[in-house]
Amino acid sequence: MHFLAASIESLGAKLAGWFTIGYGTFAFLTKASLLLLDRTTWNHATFDVVIKQVYFTAVQILHVFLGYSLVIAWLIISIILSTARDFGLTAFASEMTIRVLVLELLPFLTALFIALRSGSAINTEVALMQVNNELDALAHCKVPPMQFEFLPRLVGGVISVVLLAGLAGLSALLLAYLSIYGASIAGFEPFTHTMAKIFDFRIVAGLLVKCALFGLAVTLIPLTAGLETPKKHFMVPVSVLRGMMRVFFAIVAIEVVSLALKYI
Amino acid sequence: MNKLHFKVGLFAAASLLLGALFIAYLLYARGFFENTYRLQLAASSADGVAPGVPLVFSGIEIGSVTTLGLNDYGGIVIQVELLERNAKWLKQDSTFTLDKPLVGGAKIRIDSFNPDAPALPDNSTMLLLTSDISKEIPVLVERVKAILANVEHLTRKDGEINTTLANVQTVTGRMTGEYGMLEGVLGSPEKARAVTDSLDKTRALITRLDGLALKMDGMAAKTDQWLFARNGMADLSRESLAQVKLMLDDAQSSLKKADALMANAVEISANVKEGTQDIAKLRAEIDDAVRQASALVKEINKKWPFARNPEVKLP
Repeated sequence: MHFLAASIESLGAKLAGWFTIGYGTFAFLTKASLLLLDRTTWNHATFDVVIKQVYFTAVQILHVFLGYSLVIAWLIISIILSTARDFGLTAFASEMTIRVLVLELLPFLTALFIALRSGSAINTEVALMQVNNELDALAHCKVPPMQFEFLPRLVGGVISVVLLAGLAGLSALLLAYLSIYGASIAGFEPFTHTMAKIFDFRIVAGLLVKCALFGLAVTLIPLTAGLETPKKHFMVPVSVLRGMMRVFFAIVAIEVVSLALKYI
Repeated sequence: MNKLHFKVGLFAAASLLLGALFIAYLLYARGFFENTYRLQLAASSADGVAPGVPLVFSGIEIGSVTTLGLNDYGGIVIQVELLERNAKWLKQDSTFTLDKPLVGGAKIRIDSFNPDAPALPDNSTMLLLTSDISKEIPVLVERVKAILANVEHLTRKDGEINTTLANVQTVTGRMTGEYGMLEGVLGSPEKARAVTDSLDKTRALITRLDGLALKMDGMAAKTDQWLFARNGMADLSRESLAQVKLMLDDAQSSLKKADALMANAVEISANVKEGTQDIAKLRAEIDDAVRQASALVKEINKKWPFARNPEVKLP
């Protein structure tokens, strides 16, 4: 009996914890969104921070990221094409390639890439600022951290993930065309038809929303995880650990929901 | 110049440009810049057809089914849409066939046989044929079942094939006996032995016949000698024939005379009274000729021993 009560209590505590985290995250997001809509937010200094964020999140790693995504795309295309040939289903190869790579795998990998590189950095930075009372100091100096630290990171993260996923998707499309039809324009008509069949308005809008949500997840969750850090130095790694776990679950949840909406 | 700003600007501009180009390409692909070509297909059954079923020409998808429904008379009307650039493949003699393969989704196949045929106008109504492999399967299964039943009947325990095979086994079993195939064919070693005995006797007979043939050869040689030797049978015959020829010439001249007399007799018979003396003379001539002919026949009979019942008939 005691064990059952203890289990229920632990479950309740966990639920309350998740609710607090969820509420905190959405409250933070709402505050950031309201600030985003405020005209006074968009001054030169905020823009500058956004541009720096985009630079450090996307431009700095562009060549590495594109190389990595091209290698993965080439591998996946080769596997799909050879499997399709073995089973006599080459007619479906281009559609399968586009659906797997451009709609699912590359946005997901982009989100993971940015989460591991920038998300973890944001989480650590914010946790350290929190522990060292830098955020309070900034607020005291009339430099609101939401406007100059957090919002630019959110915006930069969303822009970076959307653009990187888009570039990776476009390069994968080019690679898919070259792999299937070779360097000739003979396959342009059937390829165009396949593209037209796959990319209707709903799919394009869904892809954009999914990438934006990925971008938000890989910046918003590390930010809130960092802000939750108790003011003790040894809690910084714990905060990063929790933040990255949540990011991973959020990315997987977004992917699963998008797949369910698309195919079920 | 701020290098960081420049790089971010370049990245953003390039991404936006590529994105815009991609959107424009998608709009082109989806036919935003051109007219949509519509077509109605009339079918007897909408089984397997659904919105999105592709329209395939030479293996390439050029359009798809948008809606399907019933018309006022209960017929199926399938609405098909394709881009204007693909509509050039549709001709007035094109056929539309609903293909339902065993693996993969249904599709509407278009076959255009004459590339010079006039193009199919927009909003035309065409007939949709059906080639459904799955419908042929039950028929095929029925036929296979019938064949299997026949095979089963033939191979049943007391069936013809089993009996035949048993017989073949008996025959081949006998063939392994002392008299081999002969025993297999005749049924028992005794009968086979009788045949071999007969063969032995036949062989003995042939040996005797050989001896006989040798004797016959000897006789033939003697006959040759008797026939063709000097003053043999052949020489005698030649002489006799020469005499016969002479006698025949004689008889021929007598008969010629008789012929002339007969011609006279025809004239004479017109006037009997005048001719009675001539008739007596004619009678004597004829008798003479007959006598000569009889003598001739006797002579021939003497020379030619094979003739029987010689007879000369008067005309």
